[in-house]
Amino acid sequence: MEKREETCTELFQFGEESEFQSLMSVVPPPETGNSFTALLELPPNQAVMLLHSPEETAPDNFTSPEFLETPNSILPNSSPNNFSLVKQEPVDSDSVHNSSPNMSDPVISKSTKRKERGKNVKSAAKKSKSVANETDGDKLPYVHVRARRGQATDSHSIAERARREKINARMKLLQELVPGCSKITGTAMVLDEIINHVQSLQRQVESGSLMDGNGNFTGMVSPPLSNQIWQPDGLTPQPLWGVEEMNPNFITPENSLLSYDSSRSSVSLHTNQLKMEL
Amino acid sequence: MHTSSKLTKEFTKKWVKGLQICCSSKKDMDVLERKKKIKLCADIALASAKNATTSWSIALISEAKKNDENEILVDNLLGPESRFKQQKIIRQMNSCHKRVRSKKILKKSCSISQRMKKMGPPKSNLAAYIAKRLVKKRTQVLQRLVPGGESMDEFSLIKEALDYILSLRVQVDVMRNLANATEVLNQSNSSNVFD
Repeated sequence: MEKREETCTELFQFGEESEFQSLMSVVPPPETGNSFTALLELPPNQAVMLLHSPEETAPDNFTSPEFLETPNSILPNSSPNNFSLVKQEPVDSDSVHNSSPNMSDPVISKSTKRKERGKNVKSAAKKSKSVANETDGDKLPYVHVRARRGQATDSHSIAERARREKINARMKLLQELVPGCSKITGTAMVLDEIINHVQSLQRQVESGSLMDGNGNFTGMVSPPLSNQIWQPDGLTPQPLWGVEEMNPNFITPENSLLSYDSSRSSVSLHTNQLKMEL
Repeated sequence: MHTSSKLTKEFTKKWVKGLQICCSSKKDMDVLERKKKIKLCADIALASAKNATTSWSIALISEAKKNDENEILVDNLLGPESRFKQQKIIRQMNSCHKRVRSKKILKKSCSISQRMKKMGPPKSNLAAYIAKRLVKKRTQVLQRLVPGGESMDEFSLIKEALDYILSLRVQVDVMRNLANATEVLNQSNSSNVFD
C-alpha cells in the first residue's frame, strides 16, 4: 500500500503541466492504435519505472527524447509542483510502446485537446477525428482511434469510449490512493469512499487547528481519529490532552497565538460550542 | 514519502510565517477565533505551497482574498515572486465566475430537457440509468467538497481531488506533528519544573 502510494506520488512529482502541453502540441501524430486503450490501462507502477529509465526507449519519434528530457529536468524543480498526474500516464506509456512510437501522440494530442479546448469544441474534435481517420496521419495533429472488434465505429461512441477510459484510469489511481478502495468495484462506491475520505481529512484539519490553538483543555473533544485507516507517518493517533502553553524556545512568535490564557472561566462553554461546531 | 516531504517543508515554512503575521496583528483572541485563524493560515499556506499550479489552490487563494482583512496575509504568504501568479489568480477567478454561471444555466436547461424525454430511457436499461444517477450525485457532492470544484468538468475534478487529498494529508500531518511536539515539550517542561 505504501509502495503504491509512493509510486502514485512519484507520478505526481513530474512535470509542469504547461510545459507538457506546449510539447505535446508540437507533436506529430502517429498511426492508429489498437493499443490506445491498452495504454491507459497501464498500471502506474510500470509507468513510473518507464519514466525512470528513459534510455530504453527508442527515439524514433523526434519529440520523444524531448519528452524524456523534460521529466528529468523538471525533477529537481518539482518541489512545489508535485502533482501533475494526468499527463504522466500517456507519456509514460508512450515510452513503453516503442514498436508504435507514434502512439504517444494521439494520446497526448488528445488529452491536450481535451484540456485546452473543452466541451464546446468537442464536436469539432470528433469531426476532425473522423476525417483524420481517412487521411494520412503523419502531418495532422489529430487522433487516430480505431474501433475495436465488435464495437461501434461511430465517431461519437469512439470519443465517448476514449473519454470513459481516461476517466476510468484516473479512478483507478484514486482507488489506489484512498485506503480501502481497491476492493470496491463500481464508480459510485469508489466515489463514495473518496468523498468520505476527503470529509474526514477536512474534519481532521479542523480539529488539528483546534488542538494547536487550545491551551489547558483537559476536557477537549478528541479529533475523529478512529475512522482513519491511513496512519500518519510515525504518529500515534492519540488525542492530545492538556496541552499547555508552548515552550518559549520552540517558536517564539507563536506564543501569543498558540498559548491559551488559562484564566478564562468560560472554558466549559467553549467546549460545548466547539463540539457543536465539529 | 520523499516526494511529499518537499511539500511538507514548504507548507510548514509558509504556515509558520503566516502564523507569525497573524499573531503580530492581534492579541487576546478567544479559542474559536484563534482556531479559525490557524486554519486559515494553514489553508492559505497549503495553497501557496503549491504555487498556484492546481486549480483548487487557486480557488482557495481567491476565496481568501475576497475577505479584505486577509489580503495582507495572503500577499505576504504568496511571496514577492508571485506577482505574476497573482494576475493569473485574478484572471482565473473571473473566468471561474463566468464559467460557474454559464454552467448553472446550462445545467438547468439540460435538466428541463431531460425531464421532457425522461420517460423513455429508464425503462430500457434501468440498472445503467440508476448507476449513472448515483455517479452524478456523488460527483456533485465531490464538487462541493473540493474547493473550486463547481467550475470543473468531471475529468479534471478527479485529478483535482487527487491533488487535494494528498495535500490535505500533508496538512494534517504537519498539524499533528506540531501538536505532538508541543505536548512533548510541555511535558518535559513540567517535569523540569517539578525537579
